[in-house]
Amino acid sequence: MPREAEPSQNEKDFILKAVREGHRLDGRALDQFRQLDLKFGDQYGIADVTLGKTRILTKVTAEVTVPYTDRPFDGIFTITTELSPMASPAFEVNRPTETEVLLSRLLEKTVRRSNALDTESLCLVAGQKCWSIRVDLHVLSHDGNLIDASCLAVVAALRHFRKPDTSMEGDTLTVYTPAEREPVPLSWLHSPFCITFSFFGTISIGEDGEEKDIWLLDTTLLEEQLRVSSCTISMNKHGEICQVAKPGGAPVEAVTVLQCSSLALQKVKDLSDFVDQKLAEDSKHRNKGGLLAELSAENAR
Amino acid sequence: MPLDTSTYNLALLRVDGRRWNELRQQGNTKIQCIITGPNERDASKNTSSSASTAPTAGGAGATLAVSIMIAPFATVDRKRRGRNDKRVQEMQTTIACGLAAAVQGQAYGPRSTIHIALNVLSQDGSLLAGLINAASLALVDAGVPMTDYLVACTAGSTSSYAAADEAADPLLDLNTQEEQELPFLTLATLGATDKVVAMVCESRVQLTRLEGMMATAADGCKAARDFLDGVVRDKGELMVQEGAIGRGEVVSSMDLD
Repeated sequence: MPREAEPSQNEKDFILKAVREGHRLDGRALDQFRQLDLKFGDQYGIADVTLGKTRILTKVTAEVTVPYTDRPFDGIFTITTELSPMASPAFEVNRPTETEVLLSRLLEKTVRRSNALDTESLCLVAGQKCWSIRVDLHVLSHDGNLIDASCLAVVAALRHFRKPDTSMEGDTLTVYTPAEREPVPLSWLHSPFCITFSFFGTISIGEDGEEKDIWLLDTTLLEEQLRVSSCTISMNKHGEICQVAKPGGAPVEAVTVLQCSSLALQKVKDLSDFVDQKLAEDSKHRNKGGLLAELSAENAR
Repeated sequence: MPLDTSTYNLALLRVDGRRWNELRQQGNTKIQCIITGPNERDASKNTSSSASTAPTAGGAGATLAVSIMIAPFATVDRKRRGRNDKRVQEMQTTIACGLAAAVQGQAYGPRSTIHIALNVLSQDGSLLAGLINAASLALVDAGVPMTDYLVACTAGSTSSYAAADEAADPLLDLNTQEEQELPFLTLATLGATDKVVAMVCESRVQLTRLEGMMATAADGCKAARDFLDGVVRDKGELMVQEGAIGRGEVVSSMDLD
């Protein structure tokens, strides 16, 4: 099984010492995110997120299927993650690494279990027909902080997505093409975002040798390889925690975790505003184009 | 069956008759843990097994390999779980990485592996916490050097997230029924300190509620540590009585802490 190349001893020492003194290799503040960019595709439901050198592409698709027998009133909602060898030589096709399992579980808990998407609204005919919404997530380039970037990409893509409109007349279900009826957005309840804190041990502050945990936000791959533990907090802008995961690693003071959670709320609000703004820009852009297209069709006839 | 939380407010008693801060003596969660090793790391075996591994002492010590088996008869609905269930894999990783923080792995070579096999025989809430406590106790019993017990406990909050009820009581050590209805978190600490090794919360809960839940869970961890320590000491005394080990040996090791 190929492994990620480990950083050399010199790199390790340099980065750890710098972090202890409050500096990062790329000159960011300890709690600063890298340049974040979000682009939507021509079709509905495609989001391309770039966070520094990390790049994630998500595509949402919908199809009509039969619901699960034990949940006749719910639609189907799945998130599939794919970490291809393109992103990093450590990833192999068809063999999920631990990173991939943890990433997909985190997204599952953050978006699916927190009921961000109302699955009951995906039901068409109880027990017979429902929408199956599938999110495909591809990591195009891996330079750390996959979780935060992936979660943002999934949420943005789902909020951008429009599913075909349907109607029921008697026993017949009609699914309209985009030309017949404008597609409708999903019933979206709240937007959760993940914030990952990476811990780098402790430093003593003050005279009495009080220990303070050092943590970074939005780590690069190199920093991620050197961290002693991490904690991912998922939250929406209303201050509701959707999920907290600190999967083992070096112990951290409980007070630090609480401090991190309140900082996470602030960061989540920033991310939430960012996605809202990008979605508004996109819909403005689309609306103009949509009107023009309609006009040209009229003229051709 | 939905848990009627309104009765809780009236009588302050939970479905199983406990008050908010009572641990279950045994509960209906039953876990068996078997430690094998340290063995020499087998490269061919590593790829095929479904165990999650974590290196100790920054890669200079033994590797911990954790595998969880949930018996089909452990739950009410008898659902078959696949070997590659992501939820189980996540728990394995959490336990392996969590224990790696407590185990003094440098006592063994970097190419050795300690296998921790956990069998869940009966499941009634606080599964992850139970698994961590079982693994920790088994490691101590097996004589693997550790800095302290890794103890875990769950805590929940009684009011739903919609109601901004600040006075809601936190609950300690939840059973299945409570887990399905209330927001809860699992907290694992190193011994009786406030140092958080692992923390998992899977339900929606208000940020303001987190502190109370964590404090309750930390208290539960302290109680769990005392309980585990009592069990280990009783076992040690029994071994001395039966003559399995000499008295002098035990006394000197007990004096250390």
